[in-house]
Amino acid sequence: MIGYAIRRIAGAVPLLLVISFVSYALMGLAPGGPSAILSEQSRALTPAARAAFVASLGLDKPWYVQYFYWLKELVFHGSLGRSFVGHRPVIALIGEKMPVTMELLGLAIVVTVLIAIPLGVAAATRRNSAFDVAATAVAFIAYGIPVFWLGIVLIDVFAVGLRWFPSGGIASIGRENDPLDRLWHLVLPVATLVVVGFAPWMRYQRAKMIDVLGQPFIRTARSKGLSERAVIYRHALRNALIPIVTLLGLSLPTLVGGAYFIEYVFSVPGMGYLALNAVFQRDYPTVMGITIISAVFVIAGNLLADIGYALVDPRVRYE
Amino acid sequence: MSRFLARFGHERPALGGAIVLAIIVAAALLGPLLWHVSPITVQHAVMGHPLPPSAAHPLGTDLLGRDQLARALQGARVSLTVGVTAMLVAIGLGSLYGAIAGLAGGKVDAMMMRFVDAMLSFPTFFLIITVEALTNQFSLVVIVLVIGLLSWMVVARLVRGEVLTLRERDFVEAARALGAGPVRLITRHLLPNALAPIVVAATLAIGDNILIEAGLSYLGLGVQVPTASWGNMLQDALGTTALVAPWMVIVPGTLIVVTLLAFNLVGEGLRVAFDRSIDQ
Repeated sequence: MIGYAIRRIAGAVPLLLVISFVSYALMGLAPGGPSAILSEQSRALTPAARAAFVASLGLDKPWYVQYFYWLKELVFHGSLGRSFVGHRPVIALIGEKMPVTMELLGLAIVVTVLIAIPLGVAAATRRNSAFDVAATAVAFIAYGIPVFWLGIVLIDVFAVGLRWFPSGGIASIGRENDPLDRLWHLVLPVATLVVVGFAPWMRYQRAKMIDVLGQPFIRTARSKGLSERAVIYRHALRNALIPIVTLLGLSLPTLVGGAYFIEYVFSVPGMGYLALNAVFQRDYPTVMGITIISAVFVIAGNLLADIGYALVDPRVRYE
Repeated sequence: MSRFLARFGHERPALGGAIVLAIIVAAALLGPLLWHVSPITVQHAVMGHPLPPSAAHPLGTDLLGRDQLARALQGARVSLTVGVTAMLVAIGLGSLYGAIAGLAGGKVDAMMMRFVDAMLSFPTFFLIITVEALTNQFSLVVIVLVIGLLSWMVVARLVRGEVLTLRERDFVEAARALGAGPVRLITRHLLPNALAPIVVAATLAIGDNILIEAGLSYLGLGVQVPTASWGNMLQDALGTTALVAPWMVIVPGTLIVVTLLAFNLVGEGLRVAFDRSIDQ
């Protein structure tokens, strides 16, 4: 297992090289680079000073040369460079925003799982009942709701209309360390994410649970005279958790990559917000930093999902 | 095929989805011909005061005083066009790529699938936003290409998996013995037999693409005003509040939700129908 994990991690290195190269190429080849915006900001500069400024950012070189410098910095100094906007190290920017996103998305995933698993189990054990049909219908409708639309509706109704919750941000000014205040700010964005996101979790849980309940060992458990509760929760559920483990692994990247729309709509200063601003300002180093960190988490998420299989299902072995 | 259609007919929700889709497509095609109000003309003098639904404007007007029914109809055309054409790009590229990898097998297959892994590790939506923002080109062609070129990987995996099992089957062996080259094998034998999962993926992809387009337009990176799309109608609605002009939020949002629901129901129904007609 450890050997397998090490080999997977080693295999991730060329993967990350390809990803960073393709990202850089896309940005380099896309018309309308950052120099146009930078020179607009520095209109007062003489042409010579402007050229020196552009050169100081390395933007006078072709994109593949820039990529090479970027890679050299990363490999030899572990640095993701400095933001074009404000010139702070990219790693510091990401370090500042990531906890905010983790707080929001982490809470959303926990609530989603806590709601989706019992719903999925209940739907599976009462297959084709009115409850099952209703839960499936709600899941199908919820799956098609755009995050930003539901976010706006919830803000309009609960923040602007009823004034129960704040319309955005992560904490009230001056109360940044008050957990209750933070939680109060998180209610609407978390509710939005749960409604929009619970459908796949519930559907997978339901499908897998139906599959497991049809297997012989469940009949054995029942014929042993175990209570239905024990059969479902102790025997069936443990075996039916595999898709949830996969989904947990696959949702790891969103923990850091951020949910762009939710942070945009609710003005949450997290990774998604940082990412969108970086894109709009053509802040190449920040865009690259976010891409690479996100890719690392995608790969890590896949690996953790595979290791998670082995933990919940002893039959799965990796050599 | 007839057995499959009969199966699909048994899937009530999917049939309902298909009917809703037919209505939406008909509205997109015929609507602008029947409803003669222009989607870009300002309808009343006082801007910033959207009118509620009335006989003259059944879905109300927006902040600039444009007729929302006309915009919704134009938006339907735009959203469906983007959804379908981006799907065609992704399905075409993905099927071909997956079929070639599956047929080639061995080292070539391993290399090709490593590239798919790499592409799948991209934060895809972020990449779509980045490319859109950097190119600053918001023509439909660019939007379609960007979405299509960044969403073919799942199809490639799916088709490769199908081809891997198909290529060992007798009829493929027979075709090969009759001298069929790789091009003929892929286009005549492998892809037609992998059609079922491709069709399911295609149906679901249209819905996903519509959602992506709405998201891009909402961020101002998609279809540009004055051309209407459901996404940029929502972007306009953010400027006001649901309390002042709820119809501005409700109209485009409901259209997106209903359309996605319909595509997902049809996709799910197709999947079930295909599975069952194979079982029989």
